[in-house]
Amino acid sequence: MTRTPKGAELEDKSFCWDDRVQPGRVHRSLYVDREVFDLEQRRIFGATWIYLAHESELAESDTFVARRLGPRPIIVTRDHKGMLHALINRCTHRGAAVCRATAGKARYFTCGYHGWTFSNDGACVDIPLDDAYGPAFEKRDRNLGRVPFLATYRGFIFGTLNPKKGEQPLTDHLGPAADRIDEWIAHNGGDHTKIRVAGAQRFLVNGNWKCIYDNAGDGYHPEYSHQSLLRMTQERHGEGMDLDYFAGGIDATPMYSQALGNGHTFIDQRPCMFESSVFDRQRPQPGREAVAAELIRDVGEQRAKAQLETVPGAGMNLSIFPSLLFIGNQFQVITPLAVDRTDLSWFATSRDDMPSGVNTLRLRTQEDFPMFGEVDDNANFESCFDGMAVPEMEWVDISRHLHTGVEKVDEAGVVTAPVSSDLHMRSYYKEWKRLMSSEPELVLG
Amino acid sequence: MNSSISRDPSHDSSYVDDALYARLVALATDWQSRSVIKRDERPINEIAADCTALINAEVRFADSLELESWIACYAPECIYWIPASYGGGDPRQEITHEIHDRRRLEDRIARIRTGFAYSMVPPVRTTHVLGNFEMWSLEAKEVRARANFIIDAVNNDRRRVLSGWIGYSLVDVDHQWRIAVKQINLIDADQPQGNNSFFL
Repeated sequence: MTRTPKGAELEDKSFCWDDRVQPGRVHRSLYVDREVFDLEQRRIFGATWIYLAHESELAESDTFVARRLGPRPIIVTRDHKGMLHALINRCTHRGAAVCRATAGKARYFTCGYHGWTFSNDGACVDIPLDDAYGPAFEKRDRNLGRVPFLATYRGFIFGTLNPKKGEQPLTDHLGPAADRIDEWIAHNGGDHTKIRVAGAQRFLVNGNWKCIYDNAGDGYHPEYSHQSLLRMTQERHGEGMDLDYFAGGIDATPMYSQALGNGHTFIDQRPCMFESSVFDRQRPQPGREAVAAELIRDVGEQRAKAQLETVPGAGMNLSIFPSLLFIGNQFQVITPLAVDRTDLSWFATSRDDMPSGVNTLRLRTQEDFPMFGEVDDNANFESCFDGMAVPEMEWVDISRHLHTGVEKVDEAGVVTAPVSSDLHMRSYYKEWKRLMSSEPELVLG
Repeated sequence: MNSSISRDPSHDSSYVDDALYARLVALATDWQSRSVIKRDERPINEIAADCTALINAEVRFADSLELESWIACYAPECIYWIPASYGGGDPRQEITHEIHDRRRLEDRIARIRTGFAYSMVPPVRTTHVLGNFEMWSLEAKEVRARANFIIDAVNNDRRRVLSGWIGYSLVDVDHQWRIAVKQINLIDADQPQGNNSFFL
């Protein structure tokens, strides 16, 4: 049995993960060990670019949203000059949260404990009775901790505590995944400033965050995990609807899986999804008839059809390692809370360049899969995590299409494989191992 | 909502239009903002008894997984709504945990009935407890109600308690009271939810 490494041993710079991340399998300790989880919070969630918030959530000055960067509670703010900040939501005095709301408008944050007050750019602006701290005391030494590196790509705000990462352009980190984000934006009208977050459906999964991430690029599971959805759709609404192209022989379809570098991956459903009108084949969502009738009346049949085709989703599963997943017209954010507890939030989107009826139907569509599919996924993720508790069964299999010789690599280094491949897991574990093998110097600004 | 049904709402949801959404938002405001119910706004005892029986039966059928009897508690043109923000918001502009017309509610039932809905294998066992009933009636064929709820849910060795309040719009459909709108306000609507694939 592979011995489980312990604290000091893991921290040692010469520790090698090769015993635990092997070509076709990974060790269960990566999922169940608290010490591995704690290391991940520094070496991954501190050290690489992590998605924090969407610009549309901070459209006005003096707005904020509360998020997490690994275990660190943060407030992402836009100050009165329009500048973005990501501040550590921890009073520099004793540690209490300076902001207890999840979102809103505020120019200042005042700690409820001793009244220390900070402006929304992080500056400490007031400390009650501060003469007791002596003549050398400066308020500016008590500014809120800040995520020192922020960068935005097409409205998606990322942050990192690692100067080595933060001093490189975010687009270097995204690589070819940036082009895929552009394609997702193009599906949604092409102007990212018109895409707006329209709330979130949040799930709590009793399992390690990687049990969820494993699935993000898994083209193998839909026919089995989502059998209830596929069967119900066929029984109630007939053949050829929705995701039916996942049923039977998926590797013979034109869908494919890709590794885009730096752990990012992509599954392309578009060749099947858009083979014929996707709106005509969509399982009917609430209000479909009224919206379609109103649109045809207002803009004519041709434009109405074009607008309705954007409702069902982008047909892209784009995973930006380690925590941002584009799915349909939504994006998911994975926030690890503990080794065995994960927040999985689905952020819905609306489009400012679409009629209200199209957006309403778009929302009805976006909330459909979480209730009809994600619930089964989550049940399976939790069950996998439970199974990883068996000490004598150490390995998680990631070997699909490892030995079939069908992977192709292009000149940019992008690897393409059949859609049922475990390429996604093998690819992100390569990046995971790289990051987990060095201790970055993390800094707060 | 139009009580004269020309289309089968199991397969056609033409009734879900902008006017219906406007009505849902107005209902949510009424459920939340009504303070003291005046004596002349209370339904007569016989109607109040019928409506209370309906509300209790609906959750009993949800608990016993008698889902055909459960959905029979709803008017043909109905809405079942679990907001993802506390208090409701406008579902035309924000995502919900669930908002179903009859067609999608029947899809929900059919999914569970396939036997392959792994979030319901084994079926989550629930016990609903309702209380703090308040009822008022502003027009002849509609009763509005509020109740608080606790749902104890067991999925093998996992146990959870959900709570909050429910807003109801009940309508007289051919002399039978039926649920036209049920809005379930989870006390933690904006927080991460567990496996809620049963009916709340």
